[in-house]
Amino acid sequence: MNLRTLEPARGDTITMALLEARNLIKTYTVDHRAITVLEDVSLSAEKGEFIVISGSSGSGKTTLLTLLSGLDHPTSGRVFIDNREITHASEEDLAPLRNRTIGFVFQSFHLVPSMTARENVMFPAELRGDPDAEARAGRLLSRVGLSARADNLPSQLSGGEKQRIALCRAMINRPKLLFADEPTGNLDSENGKIVLAQLIDLKNEHGATLVLVTHNPEIARAADRVISLKDGHLNG
Amino acid sequence: MRHMPMILRQVRRSYKQAGLFVLCVALSLATLTAFSGFARSVGRALLDDARTLHAADIIIRSHDPISAPLVQAVDRLANQGRIVRANVHEFYSVVRAPNEKASVLSRLKVVEPGYPFYGQVTLKSGRPFKQVLAIGACIVEQTLLDRIGLKVGDRLQVGYTTLTVDDVVTAEPDRPLDLFAFGPRVFIHSSDLDALGLLATGSHIHRVVLLMVMDPLQVDDIAGRLKKASAFDGESIDTYLTSGSVVKRFLDNFLFFLKLVGLFILMVSGLGIQSTLTALFNEKQRTIAVMKTVGASGRFINTHYTLMVFLLGAAGTGVGILAGAVVQGGLAWMLGPLLPEGLGLTIAWSGVAEAVMLGLTVVALFSFLPLYRLREMRPVAIFNRLPSVGITRWPYFLSGLLVLLFFLALVLWHMRDIVFGFYFVGAVTALILAAALLAQLALWAMRRLPVRPLVFRQAIRGLFRRGNATRSIMITLTVSLAVIFGDHLIEKNLDATFVQSFPADSANAFFLDIQPDQTEAFSAAIGHPVQFYPIVRARITSVNGEAIDRSREGQKRRDNLSRVFNLTYREALLDDETLIDGDTLFRNDWPEPQVSIMDTVVEMRRMKIGDRIGFKIQGVPLTARISSIRTRDSRSLSPFFYFVFPEAIMKQAPHTLFAALTVSPGQMGPLQTSIVSRFPNISVIDMSQTIGILARLMARLSRIVRIFSLFSIAAGLLILVSAVFATRAERVVESVYYKILGAGRRFVFTVFALENLLVGLLSSLLALVMAQTGAYWVCKVKFNIGYQPFLSVSLVMLAATVALTVTVGMVASRSILAKKPVAYLREQQNE
Repeated sequence: MNLRTLEPARGDTITMALLEARNLIKTYTVDHRAITVLEDVSLSAEKGEFIVISGSSGSGKTTLLTLLSGLDHPTSGRVFIDNREITHASEEDLAPLRNRTIGFVFQSFHLVPSMTARENVMFPAELRGDPDAEARAGRLLSRVGLSARADNLPSQLSGGEKQRIALCRAMINRPKLLFADEPTGNLDSENGKIVLAQLIDLKNEHGATLVLVTHNPEIARAADRVISLKDGHLNG
Repeated sequence: MRHMPMILRQVRRSYKQAGLFVLCVALSLATLTAFSGFARSVGRALLDDARTLHAADIIIRSHDPISAPLVQAVDRLANQGRIVRANVHEFYSVVRAPNEKASVLSRLKVVEPGYPFYGQVTLKSGRPFKQVLAIGACIVEQTLLDRIGLKVGDRLQVGYTTLTVDDVVTAEPDRPLDLFAFGPRVFIHSSDLDALGLLATGSHIHRVVLLMVMDPLQVDDIAGRLKKASAFDGESIDTYLTSGSVVKRFLDNFLFFLKLVGLFILMVSGLGIQSTLTALFNEKQRTIAVMKTVGASGRFINTHYTLMVFLLGAAGTGVGILAGAVVQGGLAWMLGPLLPEGLGLTIAWSGVAEAVMLGLTVVALFSFLPLYRLREMRPVAIFNRLPSVGITRWPYFLSGLLVLLFFLALVLWHMRDIVFGFYFVGAVTALILAAALLAQLALWAMRRLPVRPLVFRQAIRGLFRRGNATRSIMITLTVSLAVIFGDHLIEKNLDATFVQSFPADSANAFFLDIQPDQTEAFSAAIGHPVQFYPIVRARITSVNGEAIDRSREGQKRRDNLSRVFNLTYREALLDDETLIDGDTLFRNDWPEPQVSIMDTVVEMRRMKIGDRIGFKIQGVPLTARISSIRTRDSRSLSPFFYFVFPEAIMKQAPHTLFAALTVSPGQMGPLQTSIVSRFPNISVIDMSQTIGILARLMARLSRIVRIFSLFSIAAGLLILVSAVFATRAERVVESVYYKILGAGRRFVFTVFALENLLVGLLSSLLALVMAQTGAYWVCKVKFNIGYQPFLSVSLVMLAATVALTVTVGMVASRSILAKKPVAYLREQQNE
């Protein structure tokens, strides 16, 4: 199916939110037993907003992030990004959306091990066919203070450096929406602070919406809004 | 997007997995291209050198005297100066030392001056053959001199005359000296032929007329004229280009079986290609998920990895072609003296092109599924989560169907025998399916095995580790081992039946070409009454009025109706015979000529009681009606005949007699010498020695087939190594956690070793069950012989396989075993 721009229809309302989730339910089947990890979750995020999804371990934070970002499909419910429904979009249809509209930062960095720092950063831009990919990657690396490490492989970098590279990779196509899953979870407090500061700086610079999953209350305090999850339900 | 630098980086990073994939592709090609290349080289060499190999332009062959019209036609052409002719007679006879103390069955070749028209008979002295072979002289093989204690210059008794050994032959153009040599060669001048006194009626003489055509452009024309002139259908007239040869027939048949082995290896290696690629992609799963997360489309990923697969496939094809050249050389070395002199192995561009096409097709077919699975890989895998979408089944069926069709096409292309092709593909498919079913059952049982010791529990758990490919490894190993074990068990049973347990009371001395008027004197020489079997040589011309197409029959690889048969006559069944159809050997209510046939004749062509077979016995036609069908105990070594006639019909036909006696090994030599010195026309064959020679030849050929079958085990082991590499991360975690929790290095080693041992043991046990079942069926049903399971040999094969699997598995795991917990934990912190 193609991503379709929402048209007014029975039960649908036009929304100005950049991200909207309606009545999301996610159920996994393990050993013929259905386990519901998200139960009727609805939320929306406006352009430029910084939202933190918090909750204890196993509350469904990361699952919600995968559904909001189109990495996985909900069992029921609907997801809209930039006025386009992605709920049942195919992988082929989601690829350009992920490339141009969304950026990801993960707890475990997920850099491609066979690519250098620069190549990792420029990869999404290359996919987009941007002839300026290398120069823009260079500028971003310089922005986070890693120009000197541009030609290093991920295995030659520290955790903080890897996450800053991942941050540059997420921002290179100037996404409207940024998803971050525990971006400081694997870092010491010093590096955590640097990465978070750079993440918010870049978000503000590009006017992006940031949806960040964390259980760190300090980070939550920096957010415009905090959504709390407990046992798959929105809390309060 | 530039794919190449990224592909190179990925290959560099996963060089072990990539290397295994390249090896699997190379393995799939090496043997088949080697065998095809070898067959092509042999074919080309035989064709290029065909004149030399046949020593003439036109070759006329017959087991009977050449018919008068054909002789006249040859004479006419010779008188016109258009051809030069050389008659050759070939037959077996026992030659003796002058003191009558030693004798040896030899292959006599009586040649007219002029032989060979092309090529050289090479002599030890270096002198020209045509000058040395004079009247009253003979040229012999060195083994003859060694066996009866003579030297050059000594006298040799041949038939009724005595000749001087003038030289030793080291090579002859029209056959390798060692090919099926039941006796050493003796060259004799044609002027001595009558003096030999060995051309009695009905004797086993191979008559050849070699013709050299003065104008090479007229070879076909003259051959055509001679064919028209031939009045006897037992005469064959061929040019050097159309004539088959013993060498070609032998190599064709042997290469046919080797190509079967090559095709089998290709199939098993195909499984290896699929398995190593799956392992490689499993290793890349995280990378692919990351690429998809940042926006890489399915098409991009597929293009990227398809390119990577074909680049690696091209490298594998290159390595396979090089390895094929080496294997080709190895095969020539192993066949050694069985090959024609001066056979040059060449690699043709057409062969290379064929190998490249084959390699890329194999890669495309066996990579299809792993590449297809990339489409199903979801970015959510980044969180180690499985996709919540169902897996489409049709690509799996399509892939299986394509592989099956490709394999069938390949078999038909190489074998050129549709029925056999279907049987072979069916058998291999059944073998793989049976192995898959048994492996599944064995793993199901292992999962439920109530095992208490911790090391065993952990080893069994390891079999089901994600990405472990245990089932693929087991199927590949089981299939390969079943073929190798089965081949060995059949060979051992044949050896045990026909060679080792040659019954003490079996006839072991066969006396051929006894003339009817020699029976009394022969019995007197033996010292007791002897049973004689009359032999009448004949060809079959028709079955139920339908003429036999000799060229079509002759193309069959099994025994067929195109050859000359030895008929006999008698009124009763032999002790080892029973009737399987018909109440009596012959019927009293049929007035026409009757014949009883052996069940093996029915295997050559479907026939039943009442059918009519047309024979031509030395030019005289005879049609006989089938009165009964016999079978015999194939373990018996008594003489047997396919066609038995009533005495009244056949007694007047020109015939010789045959006798079979039981002689103690110590008496064989003296008896042979004494009989041949009294009756020089009689040939004595020492069956125990003949069977020994055949057994040694079969063992040699079987060993070559087995060596190449081992290549298929290599595919299984490559999958094992690739599985170890693919699950390296999981194994490291297991190893580190064991160590952190207090287990010693020995515990970790034992768990991994046990896991490999279980894979090897289960695979070889399943293979043994399949091999024993298959070998039992072949021996009991196809060969109709007894069956021994050879348990000790089976145990040795089983132990060797287990040792090999454990060794390969542990060598591949050594870096995992060496991993220190602290190093791993530091790496995790950095993540």
